[in-house]
Parts: sequence; structure tokens; C-alpha cells
Amino acid sequence: MIIMSSNILSGVDTVLDVGQSWITINALIWLWAFGFCHLLFMNTSDSEEDSYNERSALVQCESPTIPSYHQDHDMSLPQETDTKRGRPVSSGLDEPGLVERERAATPDGEEEELTLKYGAKHVIMLFIPVTLCMVVVVATIKSVSFYTEKTSQQLIYTPFKEDPNSVGQRLLYSLLNTIVMISVIVVMTIILVVLYKYRCYKFIHGWLILSSLMLLFWFSFMYLGEVFKTYNVAMDYPTLAMIIWNFGVVGMICIHWKGPLRLQQAYLIVISALMALIFIKYLPEWSAWVILAAISIYDLIAVLCPKGPLRMLVETAQERNEPIFPALIYSSAMVWMVGMADSNNPDSADERQRNEGGALAQEGVESEDDVALGGRRRCSAEEDLEEDRGVKLGLGDFIFYSVLVGKAAANGGDWNTTLACFVAILIGLCLTLLLLAIFKKALPALPISITFGLVFYFSTDNLVRPFMDSLAAHQYYI
Amino acid sequence: MDLSRVFFTGNSTMNLERMPNEEKLSLCRRYYLGGFAFLPFLWLVNVLWFFKEAFLKPAYTEQPQIKSYIKKSALGLILWVAVLTTWITIFQHFRARWGEVGDYLSFTIPLGTA
Repeated sequence: MIIMSSNILSGVDTVLDVGQSWITINALIWLWAFGFCHLLFMNTSDSEEDSYNERSALVQCESPTIPSYHQDHDMSLPQETDTKRGRPVSSGLDEPGLVERERAATPDGEEEELTLKYGAKHVIMLFIPVTLCMVVVVATIKSVSFYTEKTSQQLIYTPFKEDPNSVGQRLLYSLLNTIVMISVIVVMTIILVVLYKYRCYKFIHGWLILSSLMLLFWFSFMYLGEVFKTYNVAMDYPTLAMIIWNFGVVGMICIHWKGPLRLQQAYLIVISALMALIFIKYLPEWSAWVILAAISIYDLIAVLCPKGPLRMLVETAQERNEPIFPALIYSSAMVWMVGMADSNNPDSADERQRNEGGALAQEGVESEDDVALGGRRRCSAEEDLEEDRGVKLGLGDFIFYSVLVGKAAANGGDWNTTLACFVAILIGLCLTLLLLAIFKKALPALPISITFGLVFYFSTDNLVRPFMDSLAAHQYYI
Repeated sequence: MDLSRVFFTGNSTMNLERMPNEEKLSLCRRYYLGGFAFLPFLWLVNVLWFFKEAFLKPAYTEQPQIKSYIKKSALGLILWVAVLTTWITIFQHFRARWGEVGDYLSFTIPLGTA
């Protein structure tokens, strides 16, 4: 692996650096490929599991109201449309965050109200994991100095080293780094679409497992090592091995197989935080900001423009009536459908069965990705199905929000700036969900939040901070 | 009524309440067996997750078996906790005195102390 590092020639560190870089690169490839699901949409899952698996939802998305944007990597969970109920379900997934809203077929007024009510509930449900992730990242940045130490080592995705002495060159190089990074993302997306088109499910699944293995074992090992060093605690190898082994294996089980919901959610939050920390450490200063901006623009373009590999992915999935891989996605809805549905809807049962057969290879992937947060609604026994509406947010979104807040915390060390960015991101998330409720179609989750975050960061850093500092200096309280 | 199918496709959302009892038993058993691979954390998760199922729910056919798995997992967990606590105490206390062996075993060595 090529390391853009000057210390590659230095002894013992070299091996560790090479190893770290290799693993980082690999994990990143998959992160880019899969974890980029800035996907935000509301699910209304009907009784059929299929909806959860995106199958039927895609198929039944003929309803003109809901366009399904599917972005390959990220996983979209299509919501199923319950044809029986005449409810169109759309699942929007896309990398850069789609917000998709499902429309109910019931009387509009009532439906609107229900939707908005659930929308509000799910906004809150998304706030909690996003906040937790950011808190973990900020806490680590503030306490463990490792992640703020600048190394000469850079990711392979940002090959140009910024020279702090020349502003023009720095700007140019950060732009070039951004171009490289975005192209990597686009290429990964295309590769994913191609793989999906040629039904290489095993390959995708395998690589996803590999990348989460790396995240769960290697990055957490690094993280623990740094935490112990920071707190000057002696740790022996046997105990460390036990900790990492337990953490990693239970994480793999919870994410890729079956595990308690809360634990699964916790693991996804931890994974996102770890990934964000790696980005904060290894992305050069200016490049990081430009990359954040570029990714939100890319997100916006990819979701709102009709051409693109993600569209192809979605359409392919639709044709095949299969769920798209739910990569790394965090769902705020419980999408369990009660079994009662089966007895009432024989068609759905058949469909589900068909779906199960077709989606076997993807089950694991989906299960790993979907973390359902609360939002469960229980229907009475008389009703067919229990419907859950949920909002799903991709882990890529978590990661980039945390990167923004983490960099704000790392750079100034000023709590004003950090809090301002945090609030900005939450406001952006709120607005995005609101727009979702209004427009009822897939929307990208990144642009609004990141824009607000960047604006707040730069303005707070350059305007509010000196103001507060001179107020404090003059002991003038307002 | 095909709860097993519902369950299978919906394994992304782990909700014990909607799982059929056989599945619960099988899951509990797998977690129990998995814990033997040096995974006390898995046993802990098993105990916490199935505790309500095993002890606080009205009886059903699979419940006694789930109860036994939970008890065995808890036993294994306590054993592991005891072993680890003992080892950590010994290590922390005697690390400095062990000299080379202590350093060899250490992942991080605190600075500024003996």
C-alpha cells in the first residue's frame, strides 16, 4: 500500500503505519461504497417484511407520488407499498442521503397529520443517536490527544500534502484532494452498481463483513490503546485481547446477525464515531472542510438529478423486486410486522415468502444495517398490520456530521464553536425532515446540515469567538 | 400465519416479542454456546436480553429450557468475571515487581511510575 508518509522509512513504526494505512484504506473503500448512505426517509412498513427488505416497496412504487431514489451503496430500505391498503411506499436510498417519504392512501388530511406526527417523533428519535455519536467523538477529541496530532501520514485518497506556508498552494492542494476523494466515491458507487447488476451478492456481502471486521477490531484496538496511553493506565495483553475479542465478536454478531436492538444501535453509533475519528485524524486540515462541502454538493446532485449509478441501482432492484443492500443504515423505526398480517393478507405472505427466497443473500446485509430505533406502533388485534413508520439515516451521515463537529472541537478547542456546529447540524436535520414531510420524496440528508454547520463554524470561529474573548478580557458580561 | 417467515425476513429488527418461541430458544441456545469461545460478554448479553423472557413472562413450553440456558450463562459469566478480576488485580499489583515479564505482558506502560 502506498503511504503518503515521510515516516515510512522509520523503523518499527513503519509496520504499524503500513498496517494502519492498509486497514484504513480498506475500511474506507467500504465505507465509501456502503456506508455512504445519507439516506433519510420515512418508512411505513406494513406487515410484510418485504417492505422492510425493500422489495415490494420498490416494485410498488409505481404510485406516481413517490419517486424512489435508490442509491446503491447505502442501502435503501424501500418501504413496501401495501397494495392492499393502497399505500404507496417508497424507499429512497441513496448515498448522499435520500429522504423519502411515504404517502398513505388514507384520507389525505388524516394521513398528513399522522405523517407529521410520526415525523416529529422520528426527528427526536434521530436526534438521540446523532447526538450520542457527536458526543463520543467530541469527548474523545478533547481528551485523547492522539486524534488531534497531525501526522505526516495521509490517506491514499488525499495524496496532496498541504503546505502550511503557502495559502494558494494549500487551497489548490485541498481542492485537488477533494477531487480525488469525490472521484473515488463516484467510482466506488459505479463499481457497486455493476456488482449489483451482475448479482455478485456474495462478494458485496463478504466485503461488507470484512470492512466491519476492520472497524470493530482494528480501529477499536487503536482507540483503546490511545485511551489507555492518555490515562496512563497499565494494560496487559491478555486482558486487552479479551476486551477486543469480546467487543468485536459481539459487534459482528449484533450487526450482521441477530442481537438486541439497543445493542445493535449502540454498535452502529460506536462504529460511526470510530470512523469519524479516523477521518478527523487523517484528513488534512483544509482538505477536510472542502471535502465536507463537496460531499454535500455531491449528495445534492446525486439525489436530485435523474442520472446516476444510484438510479440504476434502484431501478435494477426494482426490476428484480429485490431489496437493495441495506448497507450501514440506522433506522429509527421498528419495522416489525406482526404475524397477524399473514392471516389477513395471504398475498403478502406469498410475497414475503418469495421475497425471502430472493433476498436470502441480502438478509444478513440488511439486518446488519438496519438498526431500528423505537418508533414502534402497536396495532390492535383487529387491524391487519402493525405499521411502523420510521426514518432511516445512513451511517455515512452520522460520520460526516461527527467529522464536522469533531473538527470544530479539535481546531479551536472552543466550546462555543463546537456547540454552535452541533446545534447547526441538528437544525439542519430537523429542516431536512420537515422538507421530507412537505415534499414527500427522497431528499439528501447532508447538504442542509453540513451547510449550516460550515456556516456556523466559520462565522463562530471568526466572529463570535474574538467577540467573546474581548468581552471576557474586559470583564463585560452580557 | 407464518411467524417464522416473518421472523426470518425481519431479522434486522430484533424484537423478542414478535419472535416465535422456538426461535427464541434457538437464539438463546446459540448465544449460550457461542459464549464458550472466550466470550463472557456474549453471555452477559444473553442474560440481559432473555432475562425478562425467562423469569418475568408467564410460562410457556420453551421457558424452562431458556431459564436453564440463562442460569448457565450467568454462571459462566460470574466465573469469567472472577477470573478476570483476579488476573487484573494480580497484574496491576505485581507488574512493576515482575520486571521483564511484566513489561513483556504490558500493552501500555504508565509513564512516571515504577
